[in-house]
Amino acid sequence: MSAVEWIRLIIGCLFILVGMVIFFTELFGVFHFNYVLNRMHAAAMGDTLGISACLIGLMIFSGLNFTTLKMFLIIVFLWFASPVSSHVLSRLEAATNDNLSSHCEIYEDVETLERELAAAGKDGDTEKKEASVS
Amino acid sequence: MSRKKTAEEYEKTFAFRFFRWLSGEKDPYIGNVEMQPQKKYEPDHEAALRREKEHDAIMDKVYDTGHNRWLHLFHRLYQTTSVLFCLFLIALLLVTVSYLPANGTVTRPVNNEVSARYIEKGLEETGAVNIVAGMILDYRAFDTLGESHVLFVATITVLILLRLNKTEKDEAEVSDRRFEPKNDAILQVVATFLVPVIIIFGIYIILNGHLGPGGGFSGGAVIGAGLVLYLNAFGFKKTERFFTEKTYKWVCFFSLSFYCLAKSYSFYTGANHLHSVIPKGTPGAILSSGLILPLNIAVGLVVACTIYAFYAMFRKGGF
Amino acid sequence: MKESIYHPLFILLLIVLSFMLLVCLIRAVKGPRVADRLMAVNMMGTMVMVMISILALLLREGYLVDICLIYAMISFLSVVVISKVYIGIYEEQHHYQEDAEGGNADECS
Repeated sequence: MSAVEWIRLIIGCLFILVGMVIFFTELFGVFHFNYVLNRMHAAAMGDTLGISACLIGLMIFSGLNFTTLKMFLIIVFLWFASPVSSHVLSRLEAATNDNLSSHCEIYEDVETLERELAAAGKDGDTEKKEASVS
Repeated sequence: MSRKKTAEEYEKTFAFRFFRWLSGEKDPYIGNVEMQPQKKYEPDHEAALRREKEHDAIMDKVYDTGHNRWLHLFHRLYQTTSVLFCLFLIALLLVTVSYLPANGTVTRPVNNEVSARYIEKGLEETGAVNIVAGMILDYRAFDTLGESHVLFVATITVLILLRLNKTEKDEAEVSDRRFEPKNDAILQVVATFLVPVIIIFGIYIILNGHLGPGGGFSGGAVIGAGLVLYLNAFGFKKTERFFTEKTYKWVCFFSLSFYCLAKSYSFYTGANHLHSVIPKGTPGAILSSGLILPLNIAVGLVVACTIYAFYAMFRKGGF
Repeated sequence: MKESIYHPLFILLLIVLSFMLLVCLIRAVKGPRVADRLMAVNMMGTMVMVMISILALLLREGYLVDICLIYAMISFLSVVVISKVYIGIYEEQHHYQEDAEGGNADECS
């Protein structure tokens, strides 16, 4: 086997290994967290990054032909569609859970949220200044 | 005169927005992705009661449902006749099946020379690289015609069963789906990109039916799924701008009659040992294998319309 | 492509992925909320997509990648449709329960 083929094998294996590690992390995260909105963070990571790494590795294995282009199309499609799936699922959870306030904070409207964020920002700045002075 | 812009003008320029994004002062998501509150729906009790009373009055005056014995007789007769007809049909089909040859004999259709002929001479006689497509759309095109008609008949049957009257339709349409989330901004933006991609992919599968796995049925299912996604993202009002009952009628009519006429020409020339003008082409090219490409397109259109129609009928009671 | 190296590598990947698929199924069965189950099924679809792509390279059939794309589409579409329908029905039940507790008559629909 020539050197180019060895390099292709090594790099492809590397990408697939990274993808598998991401899948394992996703699976572990899904079982580790205790609420579905937290688990969705882990699942969304696997759906986009994990499968992209695996498919890029497989693209390197396959070389330059039509199959590679189709795999690239799969990656593009998944990068558009998976985050929307997560968004829709989290809306499902937020709409059908009666005691959502025990899991996360709910703001009534946009102005309250902005005020909270501005207050938190100001407090953070003053804390930093105190730390730097002392 | 100073060339400096006033504060209001500066806020409208691109540079202001760019530097604000760069510094991260304004959160880009606040105020942008929340859903607007839905309109409250007030149920109209008087109108519903009035409609019920009118319906009962009409049934009473015109049909006299309370005392009409012809109506009862017809009802009983219909029930018994339908049961008897089903039993007769079942018996007839079972008797026909029992005439088939037993398992393992030479004359059984699985073991005779037909399948070998299809595999060996499929490519040169039909011109299609995909011999399954060559078989269902060339050797056995009549069966596929029957299947397309079955899809059409199934849609019509479900339409008859689930159909609502005009007045019922308005009331039911609002009350059945009024709690669903509508006009999700993220889904709409992504659907504007993804639906054309899905439909183009479905067209690709249909056009490549004779060169590889695919064909009319799977490609039509993909196009139908793209239409269902559009419907979910944008709602019925926008989808009815381009897909109504009329569209469905004309698309199915043209596809099925084109299939019939095209295959009739093939049957006519084949049965009378005439030479047909449809070229077979070189295998592997996209414009090859005679009539298989147009027939794939016809079947794909029927399947796409059927899938969308089933979804719309179960959500809305019509389309 | 050297067969002796790629073939066992792909088989190993397929075995690992199928094991992870079964573990996902546990979450789909166990999850207390509906969103748990939908999310687990979506994950299973993603892992199946990787498996189909590996098979496409193993068997040297380029057309299996088309099936992969259809899987992606179907899993996305199923999540969107099921969420929409479920939210609609849940809120409708909720609304009728509130009406019944409040003492108003249900509308005839």
